[in-house]
Amino acid sequence: MQNKVVSSMLRQCLAVMRREVYYLWRDKGLRKILLAGSLLGLLVFYATYSAQVLKGIPTAIVDLDCSRESRQLVEDISNTENLKVVANPGSFAEVEELIQRGEVVVGVVIPENYAKSVSLRRQVNLAVIIDGSNMIYATNAANTVLAITGTINAQAGIKTLIAGGMHPDQAREAFSSVTFREEPWFNPTLNYAYFLVLALALNVWQQCCMLTACMNIIGETGRKSWSLLKAAGVSKFMFFFSKSIVQIALFILTVLPVYYLSFNVFKLPLACSFWVFLLFTLAFALALHATGTLVSSFSRNAVNSTRFGMIIAVPSFILCGYTWPLEAMPQIVQQAAWVLPQTWFFQGINYLTFKDPGWTFMAPFFSALLVIAVLSYTAAALIASRS
Amino acid sequence: MEPVVRVTDLVQKIGKRIILDGVNLEVYKGECFGLFGLRGAGKTALLHILAGIDRFRSGRVEVLGYDARKSERFKHRLGLVTQEKSLFQDLRAAENLDFLTALKNASRENCYRVIERFQLTDYLKLPVTALEAGVYQRLALACALLNEPELLLGDDLFQSIDPASRHIILRELREYLACGGTCILSFNNMDAYSKTDLYSIISRVGWLEQGRLTVYQPGEAREQWEDRLKSFAEQSGELHA
Amino acid sequence: MKQVAAIAYYEMVHILKDKILLLLVFAVPLLYASLCGLVYFSGILTDIPLAVVDLDDSRLSREVVEAFENSPHFQVVPGIDTYAGLEKGMKEGTVRAGVVIPEDFEAIITQHRNTEVLTVYDASNLIWGFNIRKYTLEVISTFNARYTATYLAGLGLTEREISNALNNVRSNIEVWYNPTYSYANYILMGLYMIIIQQIGLLCVSLTITREKEKNSWLQYLCSPVAAWKIFLGKSLPYFLTNLMNYGLLLCFARSVVLVKVEGSTLLILLLGLLYSITITSAGFYLSLWAANSLQVTRYLLLLSAPFFMISGYCWPPTHIPEFINNTARLVPLTWMAEASRLVTVKNLGAPYLVDNILALTVMALVSTFFALTFSKRRNPPAPGGLEVDCGNSYPKRD
Repeated sequence: MQNKVVSSMLRQCLAVMRREVYYLWRDKGLRKILLAGSLLGLLVFYATYSAQVLKGIPTAIVDLDCSRESRQLVEDISNTENLKVVANPGSFAEVEELIQRGEVVVGVVIPENYAKSVSLRRQVNLAVIIDGSNMIYATNAANTVLAITGTINAQAGIKTLIAGGMHPDQAREAFSSVTFREEPWFNPTLNYAYFLVLALALNVWQQCCMLTACMNIIGETGRKSWSLLKAAGVSKFMFFFSKSIVQIALFILTVLPVYYLSFNVFKLPLACSFWVFLLFTLAFALALHATGTLVSSFSRNAVNSTRFGMIIAVPSFILCGYTWPLEAMPQIVQQAAWVLPQTWFFQGINYLTFKDPGWTFMAPFFSALLVIAVLSYTAAALIASRS
Repeated sequence: MEPVVRVTDLVQKIGKRIILDGVNLEVYKGECFGLFGLRGAGKTALLHILAGIDRFRSGRVEVLGYDARKSERFKHRLGLVTQEKSLFQDLRAAENLDFLTALKNASRENCYRVIERFQLTDYLKLPVTALEAGVYQRLALACALLNEPELLLGDDLFQSIDPASRHIILRELREYLACGGTCILSFNNMDAYSKTDLYSIISRVGWLEQGRLTVYQPGEAREQWEDRLKSFAEQSGELHA
Repeated sequence: MKQVAAIAYYEMVHILKDKILLLLVFAVPLLYASLCGLVYFSGILTDIPLAVVDLDDSRLSREVVEAFENSPHFQVVPGIDTYAGLEKGMKEGTVRAGVVIPEDFEAIITQHRNTEVLTVYDASNLIWGFNIRKYTLEVISTFNARYTATYLAGLGLTEREISNALNNVRSNIEVWYNPTYSYANYILMGLYMIIIQQIGLLCVSLTITREKEKNSWLQYLCSPVAAWKIFLGKSLPYFLTNLMNYGLLLCFARSVVLVKVEGSTLLILLLGLLYSITITSAGFYLSLWAANSLQVTRYLLLLSAPFFMISGYCWPPTHIPEFINNTARLVPLTWMAEASRLVTVKNLGAPYLVDNILALTVMALVSTFFALTFSKRRNPPAPGGLEVDCGNSYPKRD
């Protein structure tokens, strides 16, 4: 008897699951979004960031002196890895113009009396202008410029001291006895593609998933066939449980090609084991699906449900602190951000892809996602059972 | 006499399905043409083409002397009552009248006149979604008549409405025809049609079936229908009972 | 004109009645703007958690530590005094940068042998990475100057001689437009422009899909009202609210988030006008084509992030492949975001914006042309059948 009940329930479950696959497939808009959305996102973002590192910052140098020394200086600057001299204008005004036009980001002006002043050991000022309007450009430019001018300054100082009669070794020591070595950890080449591409693609993926999850309950209760299902006496729990399994499985299926391309073809870094990463993705998929289901339970129609879901999903990437760090946001935003599953996910993937800090550290991330899932599913079930 | 509506070899497909398969039709001034067909026969498709709403595959359609494929000018002299509710659901009855008066460039006086004739004064403040089926249909017809059209297209005007409204609508239709108006009215229930006053105002009936239109005199159409019913009954042996 | 006014009036009535649309039109742009404003409010990374592993604990090593402690950007995290501790802290994100001074640091230096101080920073988030690198270099350069000065003073050089040696070739680094490297100055205006674009498109693109879903679109189609009047009437309220939101967001950015909004008001207004026209007519045209509100909403919201990333507003277009740049040029945001930076942050005049103004004008003209001349004949909607959500309807519980 008991066996019969179980097998009939199983059959029902399978029937609902099969129907869910058909439903998702026949919703043409959603089908395209789910199948192509995140992959297309990954390709577009990878192409956008294909330069990967910000070398070759366009630079203009004005040499008003035209001496051997100044030419040497121009050459020193040109040889820097990060700067690319693209213009040699004749005056300061022209540099200004180039910067205003955005054609160069760094402008260096060597004054007229450069060689003379250096030889007479009189103070001479190099003017360096950096366009600060694009911060990524500006910080990189500033770092390079700081390094170069430091070297130039030291070289000139050493010459001054030697000319003043100091022993060359001593003069050199005065300027460079303490050496500082810098080590960027976790992303040693400062690769922007490593930093952003996967996260941006996953951002598109989570939005696509949110769109699907937002249809979960309203997609049924909003259809005329809902009364048929109710009349058939199918258990709501069993029904939505089966649907959800299909949807979550689909989420994972759609993320797999993204991961394959990212790690195997584009060689983006992954510090932790792939299976841990996938497990973490599954935990997030659950939490996200639960959130979407909750939204779909109280919305009056599918459009509103989609809107509410996307109101959470679209700005979540800004809020999650993946780019502009959470620590730099006001306290209240930081606290609010941790309510979103996306914050846990994107913070988590940053740790997992670059650092692999181990299970004990990641445990709260997994638990938080599961807690969000449980709470949201419960709330959705309560709302759905009352309406 | 130049016909008000002239349809030649009209073909309409929706997706892969052929809805109208070479329809020919002429409707003359002052005539009330009945368009009969079962659900899905293509009545609405034909009326929407006549109203200049839908594109169609091939054929020629002239309405009030204009090419219905391109011209907008005949719409000044056209009224349409749709089968599915198409008044602005977020507005009240009065607002619908007011808005449609503006859309149709009709005069205020006409607006007041139709309100009075269709006895809508009590319902003006109600949202259209709150109107009963009969009152809604009166309002829809009133809106269609705002611009004093020369051609009125009524898609299933009499679908299950109360007798009072039915009476008002019929009265106004007679009045409209008496003043020289032309109309095409679709219906899908031959039995109901035969037993009502609608029968008395319709001059010809076009029977739409499998994309083809056959035109009958009213009596003929009814006889055809009854013959068909009888033959089905004979097949199932009910007649012997 | 009466017809246009009537259509515009009743569209406004609808906006006021549809609560969610009302919020979308009047509140959501400001809401998103406030959210972004709040997130980027500080704009500058301060109190970066720094671990100092001083394995030497000598006078010189303490000087190095002091140099970092004195920087307003760093906040030394106490209790980390081993390399392993630094590694752990960096992995767990409790520290973002570290300084390691090796054992016998001072002794080695006094013996004129080579040694080095290690500075590390977290490059897993390059916003941290780039900024910390800059701050570190600044600290190092200050420290070096002071070290040299002390060293030379120790050799008995006069202050003047020291200054001569240190400043013989001095570099005056001027950072234009955004001297504090504020992230808010950098990113906010672009984000605001995408908020305006996406929410604007979303609102206006529902105007026809809504009528289609409720069948009332038939009333427009069978009425003798010209297509261009329908477009003007339907989009006027959205055009105006769009323009209003544009102004509102700029004022908000300037007076609440306190980011740099300079430039000629007339130019800002012209750009806003062109942008609003483009958005409104493009949205209207989209609405004519879209099957239903659900599909429009899905696609539009999904496209926000990719539009922003390819626009070249963050990652510079010089480093983006040409085919992506060319695609981006078809999106109004790309031109508008750049223009807004040129005007509000760089405070440039019209001659520097010729390309942007031209592109936006062409976009406005083209989209308005298509919207004005749309055909009042529709393809008859296919019966829903098994295709879910592609007809004129979507699941609703009304």
